[in-house]
Amino acid sequence: MTVIAKAWHSASRTDAGKVRSGNEDAILDRPELGLWAVADGMGGHRNGALASRLIVDRLAEQACEGPLATRLAAIRQCLHDVNRQLSQALTVTTDCPDPVMGSTVIALVVADDRAACVWAGDSRCYLWRGGRLYQLSRDHSLRQQLLDEHAMSAEQVAAHPAAHALTRAVGASERLQLDILEFETYPGDTLLLCSDGLYQDLPADALPAALGLPSASLVLRRLFDEALTGPARDNLSAVVVRR
Amino acid sequence: MSEALDVSMPASDQTYFAYAQGAARPVSPEPAQAPGSLPELVGGRYRIERLLGVGGIGAVYRARDLLREQFGDPEPYVALKTLSEEFAEYPDAHALLYSEFALTARLRHRHVVRLFGFDVDVTSRRAFITLELLKGPTLDQMLLEHPAGLPWPLLRSIALPLLEALDYAHRLGVLHGDLKPSNVMLADDGLRLFDFGLGQPLDSLLPGLPRLARHRFTAWTPRYAAPELLDGGELTAAADIYAVACVLYELSAGQHPFRRLSAKQAKAMSLDTDLARPPHLPAHCWPALRQALAFDPADRTGCVGPLLEAFRRNQPSRWRRWLGLAQG
Repeated sequence: MTVIAKAWHSASRTDAGKVRSGNEDAILDRPELGLWAVADGMGGHRNGALASRLIVDRLAEQACEGPLATRLAAIRQCLHDVNRQLSQALTVTTDCPDPVMGSTVIALVVADDRAACVWAGDSRCYLWRGGRLYQLSRDHSLRQQLLDEHAMSAEQVAAHPAAHALTRAVGASERLQLDILEFETYPGDTLLLCSDGLYQDLPADALPAALGLPSASLVLRRLFDEALTGPARDNLSAVVVRR
Repeated sequence: MSEALDVSMPASDQTYFAYAQGAARPVSPEPAQAPGSLPELVGGRYRIERLLGVGGIGAVYRARDLLREQFGDPEPYVALKTLSEEFAEYPDAHALLYSEFALTARLRHRHVVRLFGFDVDVTSRRAFITLELLKGPTLDQMLLEHPAGLPWPLLRSIALPLLEALDYAHRLGVLHGDLKPSNVMLADDGLRLFDFGLGQPLDSLLPGLPRLARHRFTAWTPRYAAPELLDGGELTAAADIYAVACVLYELSAGQHPFRRLSAKQAKAMSLDTDLARPPHLPAHCWPALRQALAFDPADRTGCVGPLLEAFRRNQPSRWRRWLGLAQG
């Protein structure tokens, strides 16, 4: 067991939900590596499931030693590599000349007291610290773009038919642009990585109520109990990480 | 396995793609039900561990061979290739994968991937190939690490085994059909050319092997497919040569010869007229590489020989070049 493993505890779960027959989400829960991730595949069940699995399986191969900057560079390289494979190197057919094989990703990496989250798409990272909830990631979605750049109200955006469309994802275009946030961590910090299937139908007070519970597994159970009482139209995934 | 096939075109509107008329019968009977998801234990023997790569039509996993493990093999790992679920549902999907197996298994070359076996998982009805597990970067990854192109010694150390592998395959009557950077790996013990999934046997050299019917199923990787393939033409050695030339140019220059466009788009824009020798490429290699990139297949040589010969010649030393110039 490494120092990382002693300092951090985590719990994770992915579920197809109530409507979809397959699960396009993939999760990585490796406290011994100080690395966690959620990926939400797009482009139809089969391709999406392969894309999200490829991301988490490749991330799992990354070296777990060295300072945060080194590990972060390796993770970025890995995601750019997968992006190239999915966006430029696929064999295509006449039936499907322009296949979409992509996935969102939100990854969290820790080294000593520092952490970084890396993302593309609308899977999110939340931080629960000192009884307050912070959303660390900003969605790469049309919804977020309409809010930020077109000064539309939340109600107007909600009525937009394509509000959930992604503006960035691994495999979606030749050039992948990742967002990265580095921060200090403190004992008691709880981080939640999740796909939109988990957060989109939860009531506003559900996250603070769950994240204050005493263990990562209790948090996870509460979140899934809550989400699965709702419509659960999408696949839902979460990784809860506590220091 | 050798049962006779009714080679007439199927009356249904399902898409069949593996066999041309006149080819051999399918390797396995058409599955009565659509195949299921790939299980975690395949064929009762291979435990799937992780996804190594996807190629559009197939997916390759790392798997642990439980039989070899039981006998104490310290490295009981294999790569396991299946068609992705979408393609696994085609009626003759098994035959497509068997075709890849049959073609590649004939090749015994240190720079061509080594296959172990072909089988069908009974429960999921998914066909799969097991092959040697390779560790190392693909040429895709090399390109990411060298955005300005590879220096000549490194380029040459990759080009030679790649061209040797392709030359060998062609001499044995096997065409690759989908050469691209992600289908070449720099393994710990040397380069490997892999994924003959769209490969074809040359009629004259390997009669009787299953053939992809390109008029019924056309597949390619847009930036590396020769223009005649995009126009529905048959796969030839010249098409493989165009693809390998694109790869060599990209390795040398750090960028695709035709701005990452397909050959059809590049041809329409006459981009070949602006093609210049990449700075890292010695002048003596350029004529052969330029010829291999010709849009008209008749302008390309029909064999790998000239390219291989050019890359085999090392760059003359500065002293020799000076002498050459001094002597006119």
